[in-house]
Amino acid sequence: TPRHATPSIPSRSLPARQPGNVLEEARIRLHVSSVPESLPCREQEFQDIYSFVESKIIDGTGGCMYISGVPGTGKTATVHEVMRCLQHAADVDEIPPFTFIEINGMKMTDPHQAYVQILQKLTGHKATADHAASLLEKRFSNPAPRKESTVLLVDELDLLWTRKQNVMYNLFDWPTRRHARLVVLTIANTMDLPERIMINRVASRLGLTRMSFQPYSFKQLQQIIMSRLNKVKAFEEDALQLVSRKVAALSGDARRCLDICRRATEICEHSAAERSATGLVGMSHVMEALNEMFSSSYITAVKCASVHEQLFLRAVIAEFRRLGLEEATFQQVFVQHQALCRVEGLQPIGVSEGLAVCQRLGACRLLLLEPSRLGVLQRVRLNVSQDDVLYALKAD
Amino acid sequence: MSKRKVQNDHMPSGECVTQLQTILRKRLCHQQLPEKLEGVEAQHKHLLELLKQTAIHGESNSVLIIGPRGAGKTTLLKCVLRHLLEEKEVQKNLLQVHLNGLLQTDDRIALKEITRQLNLENVVGDKVFGSFAENLAFLLEALKKGDRSSSRPVLFVLDEFDLFAHHKNQTLLYNLFDVSQSAQAPIAVVGVTCRLDVLELLEKRVKSRFSHRQIHLLSSLTFAQYLERVRAQLSLLDDFPETKFAQNWNAGIETLCEDKSVKEVLQRHYNSSKDFRSVHMLLMSCLSRVSVAKPAIKPVDLLEASRLCLADAKANMLHGLSILELCLIIAMKHLNDIYEGEPFNLQMVHNEFKKFLQRKSNSMYNFDQPVVMKAFEHLQQLELIRPVDGSSAKTQREYQLMRLMLDHSQIMEALQKYPQCPTDVQQWAMSAFG
Repeated sequence: TPRHATPSIPSRSLPARQPGNVLEEARIRLHVSSVPESLPCREQEFQDIYSFVESKIIDGTGGCMYISGVPGTGKTATVHEVMRCLQHAADVDEIPPFTFIEINGMKMTDPHQAYVQILQKLTGHKATADHAASLLEKRFSNPAPRKESTVLLVDELDLLWTRKQNVMYNLFDWPTRRHARLVVLTIANTMDLPERIMINRVASRLGLTRMSFQPYSFKQLQQIIMSRLNKVKAFEEDALQLVSRKVAALSGDARRCLDICRRATEICEHSAAERSATGLVGMSHVMEALNEMFSSSYITAVKCASVHEQLFLRAVIAEFRRLGLEEATFQQVFVQHQALCRVEGLQPIGVSEGLAVCQRLGACRLLLLEPSRLGVLQRVRLNVSQDDVLYALKAD
Repeated sequence: MSKRKVQNDHMPSGECVTQLQTILRKRLCHQQLPEKLEGVEAQHKHLLELLKQTAIHGESNSVLIIGPRGAGKTTLLKCVLRHLLEEKEVQKNLLQVHLNGLLQTDDRIALKEITRQLNLENVVGDKVFGSFAENLAFLLEALKKGDRSSSRPVLFVLDEFDLFAHHKNQTLLYNLFDVSQSAQAPIAVVGVTCRLDVLELLEKRVKSRFSHRQIHLLSSLTFAQYLERVRAQLSLLDDFPETKFAQNWNAGIETLCEDKSVKEVLQRHYNSSKDFRSVHMLLMSCLSRVSVAKPAIKPVDLLEASRLCLADAKANMLHGLSILELCLIIAMKHLNDIYEGEPFNLQMVHNEFKKFLQRKSNSMYNFDQPVVMKAFEHLQQLELIRPVDGSSAKTQREYQLMRLMLDHSQIMEALQKYPQCPTDVQQWAMSAFG
């Protein structure tokens, strides 16, 4: 029976609870998964992709397009939206009908699985990778009456790279066939991927229709959140602006922006439970969320370390200063450690214990260590800047 | 009932000690969950709320629990789960998948394990059918079909999270985080790791999909709190059957923790690490000295246990060496002193040793070259010395360059305690140059 199993997650006995108040409503709207009907701030890109695919479908020809941009700039969401609109247009007979299929390089175990998944989504048949490749080859190169156009979305294109690049070659070669009627949209992160990893005959088939998604500016991020919230009044204006400015300065990743807003809502919810506040997410909540998600924890880790661990870090810095290098062996650092113990009036520790201290700092990556088999000869490097360590040790 | 109570009151002391041993051993060795967590209330609340959101409202989430080893990450998670499952609504709905980076060493195994624990339809009995690719497609399809309000939420716990980041392409992490960020079956991904730089291990598209919630478990325990926790660990609770014995025991622990030398020992351990696992080791070896004849922990026990814990392993190894091996070690120490840590070979060590012998009239230690060689090899096997480069085949054994893996303080300490060490050897070790 497993051959014909229908995959599913068991359903729950009680349906999930509906949101009870404004903040919970806001949380659901702010979740990354609740993609809005129309994406704000991506109208131009939407229009470009739409006209490209529409013209190909109407002409009955094929083509390729390469879309790039850093993560979280709305590439996949925009393409999906284009497809939804085109599907709608096809339903009302404005354009000829077409099929849309989608594969993702990260969601398969091996580049050659692309053939299997395309075939399965086109026809519903299962086949091995080689067999699927030959079936697809036949399908796209032979003329057939009443053939529909096919739009293929390939997400995470860089994962389809193989040494001979035959998967990429085929994907870009099929659209050039006369009878294929295939439109391939490819998405990846880097702008220069075709020049960097593809051999010439693959890159030339990909063509020059390219588009890059710029990271969101702070105004755009603000607009995105506003449109998500859609009249649910949960945020103060200034708080929103702070989040979008911070994220835009760092990466322009919309996912990050939404996650921070969601966390801020959570913080607000908990603090509201204690004292009945205004119920709006304010500046302080957003600041707390930002601190939580952006701040590095190295300094706190150093502050919370035990006495000997802190002393060891100081010994490492002292030894670096003495050597003028950024690397020292454990033995050298240990001599400094013993000296520091004496200065601090602590009982000096043995070599075994010193090694244990060193290993503990290495395990949480405050230090970078060589394999511990080298014992006292292992080399020690700092994974944090010296200033950070000194700051953390001085503060108390 | 009353009769039994009477019997209980007169439980023989042997039985009491056995009871005590079982209770405390469970606490110290089996990582028994404490009644309530101390010092991490905020983290506990954060995690509980987050998992509740997933279990009750069907919101997908991801979170990382980060803290040094022995800081109570798993304990926190288990406590939160215990609280969470107390609610009927959660208990009926929540599916759990536990993965460990040390067991699921690649995505293929991890995927099989997920399919098995979720009991999806391609599982028959205990076996998972289909290839790796099919399994992945099947799981993703199953998760995709679900939706926020109707399918059961799944909790993924990834222990040793940093090891999952070393899998090929980070496929599993990408897919889990992607599901948690799209409108599919609600899942919560909880990663547990001790590395502070774990986010730098993630690929940028995986990192973008992670929600960047981190729960840090860094203990800022003061010594007074530390002492209090040690006391709590050793004390018996009220539910101990024999009240008299429990009272005596607790009073004993009370005086033990007041004792000055005990405090000193604990302070020393506290200075070296705040991790509670090492204290458990210490307390365990104290506890194993408790018997019917001596039903209490004395300060002496703690001192002795601490001495065992802090003993230097290498110095202990030196005690077991023969005189010749010890002489070779001393010769190496001198070479290290003269040539400032440059590597040496057997010939150099033997020469150094011969220089010492020449100055002596009685040639008690005049060994042949093969014997010295044997001793040298023995030292190498104990890893007290190690070759500079790994390629041992190329050079002859006498000329292979070696380094000493001991600190000078260790050698001197071992010499002090070496049973019946010849005086001339000791003097030779003390003298500045060979």
